[in-house]
Amino acid sequence: MAETIYRTRGLSRVYATGAAAVRALDAVDLDVPAGEFVVLLGPSGSGKSTLLNILGGLDRATEGEVWFRDRSLTAMDEADLTRYRRDHVGFVFQFYNLVASLTARENVQLVTDIAANPLPPDEALGLVGLGPRVHHFPAELSGGEQQRVAIARAIAKRPEVLLCDEPTGALDSQTGVQVLDALAEVNARFATTCLVITHNAAIREMAHRVIRFQDGHVAEVEVNATRRAASEIAW
Amino acid sequence: MVSALSRKLLRDLARLWSQAAAIALVLACGVAILLMSLGMFQALETTREAYYDRQRFADVFARATRAPRALMPEIAALPGVVAAEARVAGLVTLDLAGRSRPGMGQVLSLPAAGGSPRLNVPILATGRLPDPEARDEVLVNAAFAKANGLGPGDRLVANLNGRKRGLAITGTALSPEFVYTLGPGALMPDNAGYGILWLPDRAAAAAFDLQGAFNDISLSLAGGADANAVIDALDRLLAPYGGTGAHGRDQQLSDAFVTAEIQQLKAMAWILPPVFFGISAFLVHMVLGRIVALERPVIGLLKALGYSNLAVAGHYLMLAALTAAAGILLGWAVGTWLSRALAELYAQFFDFPYLVWRAQPGPYAVAGLLGLAAASAGALQAAIAAGRLPPAEAMRPPAPPRYGRTLSDRLLAGAGLGQPAMMVWRGILRWPLRSGLTMLGLALAVAVMVAANFLDDALDKLIDIAFTQAARQDAALILGQEAAGIAVEEVRALPGVLIAEGQTSQPAILRHGPRERRIGIEARPPGADLARTVDSEGRPVALPPRGVLLSSRLAERLEARPGDVIEAEFLTGRRETHGLPVAGIVEQYFGLGAYMQADALAALRREAPRVGAVNVALDPAAQADFDAALKDIPALAGTVMLTQVRRSFEDTIAENVVIMNTIYITVAVLITFGVTYNGARIQLSERARDLASLRILGFTRGEVSGILVGESLVLAVAAQPVGWAIGGAIAGALAHGSQSDLYAVPVVLKPATFAAASLLVLAAAAGSALVVRRRLDQLDLVSVLKTRE
Repeated sequence: MAETIYRTRGLSRVYATGAAAVRALDAVDLDVPAGEFVVLLGPSGSGKSTLLNILGGLDRATEGEVWFRDRSLTAMDEADLTRYRRDHVGFVFQFYNLVASLTARENVQLVTDIAANPLPPDEALGLVGLGPRVHHFPAELSGGEQQRVAIARAIAKRPEVLLCDEPTGALDSQTGVQVLDALAEVNARFATTCLVITHNAAIREMAHRVIRFQDGHVAEVEVNATRRAASEIAW
Repeated sequence: MVSALSRKLLRDLARLWSQAAAIALVLACGVAILLMSLGMFQALETTREAYYDRQRFADVFARATRAPRALMPEIAALPGVVAAEARVAGLVTLDLAGRSRPGMGQVLSLPAAGGSPRLNVPILATGRLPDPEARDEVLVNAAFAKANGLGPGDRLVANLNGRKRGLAITGTALSPEFVYTLGPGALMPDNAGYGILWLPDRAAAAAFDLQGAFNDISLSLAGGADANAVIDALDRLLAPYGGTGAHGRDQQLSDAFVTAEIQQLKAMAWILPPVFFGISAFLVHMVLGRIVALERPVIGLLKALGYSNLAVAGHYLMLAALTAAAGILLGWAVGTWLSRALAELYAQFFDFPYLVWRAQPGPYAVAGLLGLAAASAGALQAAIAAGRLPPAEAMRPPAPPRYGRTLSDRLLAGAGLGQPAMMVWRGILRWPLRSGLTMLGLALAVAVMVAANFLDDALDKLIDIAFTQAARQDAALILGQEAAGIAVEEVRALPGVLIAEGQTSQPAILRHGPRERRIGIEARPPGADLARTVDSEGRPVALPPRGVLLSSRLAERLEARPGDVIEAEFLTGRRETHGLPVAGIVEQYFGLGAYMQADALAALRREAPRVGAVNVALDPAAQADFDAALKDIPALAGTVMLTQVRRSFEDTIAENVVIMNTIYITVAVLITFGVTYNGARIQLSERARDLASLRILGFTRGEVSGILVGESLVLAVAAQPVGWAIGGAIAGALAHGSQSDLYAVPVVLKPATFAAASLLVLAAAAGSALVVRRRLDQLDLVSVLKTRE
C-alpha cells in the first residue's frame, strides 16, 4: 500500500457572498495515495476547484482538517503555506496564467529562482517538448504551447504534487492530448502525484483513480484496473 | 543573474513608461526645487560665513558725531570685545566724468598704521591700497568701478565736506560690509550712482574735521560674548559724543538683506516641494492601484508558485521606487544645475568675491529621501493590498463594481441626463476618494499658477503704493548736516525745482513693553505732498498734530495699536525719552517707518525744526541744469534720484517675474498633465469594455470619448474654486515667508489671476485628455471585448 499524500476529514468551505452562504465543500473525507494520477470529475460548482485550492494551500478550509503527508495544512499560518507551496506543489491552470511580459524560459525561471532544488529551466521546457521555443513570449506561442510552458513551470521545482485545474479546458483535442501526455509522463517518470480537474469524462480512463463530485460531496471514488494512454482516448 | 521577477519589473516599467514618466517629472520638480532652494541656501550661507570669517566682518557697529580717539582703549577693554576699530565715515557727492548726474559716495577711512584695517577688511580686486600719507588717493568698491568703467589710475571728483577734491583711484576692492550695497534712500543697489570710497585716515579726518576723533566704530566679539551687553556699554560710552545707538549685524544693512534673502530661500524650500511630493504620491497611488487591479491573476500566480506576501508587495513597491528613482535622478541633475546657476547669479547680485558652492550630500539625501518617501507612501496601499490578496481570490476575476441607487442617483435621474452623462457622474461618485484626489491634484496646479501670478499684481500694488502714492518726489537731496528750515528755500531756488519739501529723520529706539526697534522717526511739515504716508489702499493719511504714525509691520513688531503709548528714546541731541501716542497705522512695504509732524517733533524735543533732506519735484525740461547745479552745492552729502530708483526696481522685478512665471507655468502644466493623463489612462483601462460595447451599440466616437474625457473635465472644472482657495493660501504663505524688517510683499489677488490660472489648467487638462482620446480612437473593438477581464 502506497503512502497517503493527502488526507481530509470533515473538510468544509463556506463562501459568504452577500445574504446567502454557499457551501462549496461539505464535510469531505478523502485519502489520496502518493504517486497516483487522480482525475476529479463533476459539474460546475460541485467543489472540485475549491478542494484543489485548499489542497494547494491557496485557500483555507472553514471546517475540518487536511493533511499533506503528516503535516496539517489547516494548522499552518500564512508563511508556512507559502513555504509549502514553494517547496511541494506545482500548479497548472486552465488559462495557463503565464506572465505576459516574460519569455517561456523566464516564466519557468519565476519558479527556479525560488525553489530549493529545481530543474534547469531549459531542461524543464525540454521535457514538454518546447526546447526550441524558450525565448518566445506567451503572445508568440499557441494555446497548447502556453499550457506546456505552464506545465514546465510547474514541474521545474520537482514538486511532489501537481495540481491541474482543467489543464485542457481551453485547448482543442489534439493539443489537449499533447498536454495530457506531458502530465502522464511527469507522473510516470518522477512519481509525482497528479490531481487533474476536468469536465471531459473521457480523461478518466488515464487515471489510477477517479473522484466524482456532486454538490460539495464526494459522490464516488473509482479505481481503474487498467489505464489508457492519452493518445488512445476518444474525445 | 537577473531574476525573472526583476525582469518582469523592468519590462512592466518599459510598458508603462509614459505614465511613469508623467509621475517622474512631477516628482523631479519637487526634488529639483527642494535641492535648488537648499543648495542655494547652503551655498549663500557657507559663502557668507567664509567671507565674513576671512575678512573679519565686525559684530557690533556704531556711529557718533565726534568721539575722541582716546576713548578707544576703554571701548577695547569692554568685556567680550576682541578687537575694536575706529573710522571716519561720511557721505560725499561725486562728480564723475561722463556722467551728468552727481553720484553719492560713502567715505570710510583706512587706518593710519599698516594701511589695511583689522576689521571689515576689504579684499583688493585690482591695484593697491592708497598710500597712508597721500591726500588724494582713494580705493573704491569694485562694483562702483565696474559700473562707471573706472580702474586704478582713473580720477574722480568728490565734494568732501564742502570742498571739491580730485582723487586718484589706486585700486578696487570688495568688502564684507557691502555685499549688498544700498545707498541712503535707495531700494535697489545703484552701483553707478553710489560708491564706497576708502581714504587714508589722515585725508579722511582732514576732510571731515575729525582729527584725533572718529565717528564710526566696529567691534568684533569673542564667541559666546553677550552682544546686547556690549551694545549697551558702547552706547553709554558714546552717548556724550553723539552716539546714535550701536547695533549688531542684524541691523547692518548689507547683512540684513543677505539674511533676508537666505531666509526667503529657506522658506521657499518648504512651501512648494510638498505640493509636488503630494501630487506624486497621489499619482503613484492611482496608477499602482490600477496595475494591481489588472494584475490580480499574476498576483495569484506568484503566490501559487510560492512567492511570499512580502515578495509580492515588494515587487509592486519596487515599481513605484524605480519610477521615483528616475524622478529623483532627474530632479538631482536639474536641481544641481539650477542651484549652481542660481547661486552664481546670487553671487553676482550680491557682491561676493567668490562662491563656496559644494554639492553637499545633505540636500541630495533630504530631497531624494523625501521623493522616495512620497512615492512609497503613494504605493503603500496598493502594494499591501497586493500582498494581502488571498491567492484563491486573486485567481478569480474581481466582482463588478457595485453601483447602488443612492440619493445622488435619484437627483441625477431627476436632472434628466442622458446615459453617457450618467456614466460620467456615476464614475465620479463611485470612487469618491479617487475623484476627490484627482480634483485636489488639479486644484494644486491652479494654486501654483495663482501663487505665481499673485506676485505680479502684488508688485504692481507695491510699486503703486511705494512710488505713485507715498514717495512721489523726483529726487531727495541729503544734506551733510542737519540744517534749519532755510535750506528748503535754497533748494527751491535751484533751477528746475517746482516743489521743495524738507524732512528730517531722528534716530530713536521705540519701545513697547518688552519689544523694541531702533529706527529713524521721519518728520515732515503738515500737508507735505511729495513724501506722504498712505493707508493700505494708497489713500494719503495726514500726519497727526501729536503722536506718531507707525508702519503696519513696525506696529506688528512692537505689538502696538492705535491709542497705545510707545516710548521713544532719541539717540541724538538731548537724548531724552518721550512717550508717544500711536495715532494711526500706515502701509509701507519697504523698511519699517515711524512718522510725525515736524513741528510736533521739534516741540517734543524742544528744538528748532531741522531739515536733513529735501524732497523735490522737478521740471523734466530743466533736469540737466538741476544736475549741474547739484555738483556745486557744498552742503550736499548726496542725491537720491527717485525716478531712477523706480525704474531700476521695475526692471529688476520685471526680469525676475518673467523667470518665475516661466518656471511656474511649466510646473502647473506638468502637474495637470500628470494628473489628467494618468487619470484618463486609468479610466480607459477600466472602461475599455464598456466603451467598446457602446461603440458596437452605435455610439459615435465623439460620444464615447465624451464619456472618457468628460469625467476628467468635470473634475478639472470642479477643481477650479478649490485651486483658487489653495492658491490664495500659498500666496499668503509666500508673502509671509518672505517678509522681513526690510521689505514685505502685499497679498493681492485679482480676478484676472484666477482666470489666467484656470484657463491654463483647463487647457492643459483638455490637451492631456485628448492625448488619451487618441488611444481610445485606435482601440480594437473586437479584441477588447474578447479579452478576459
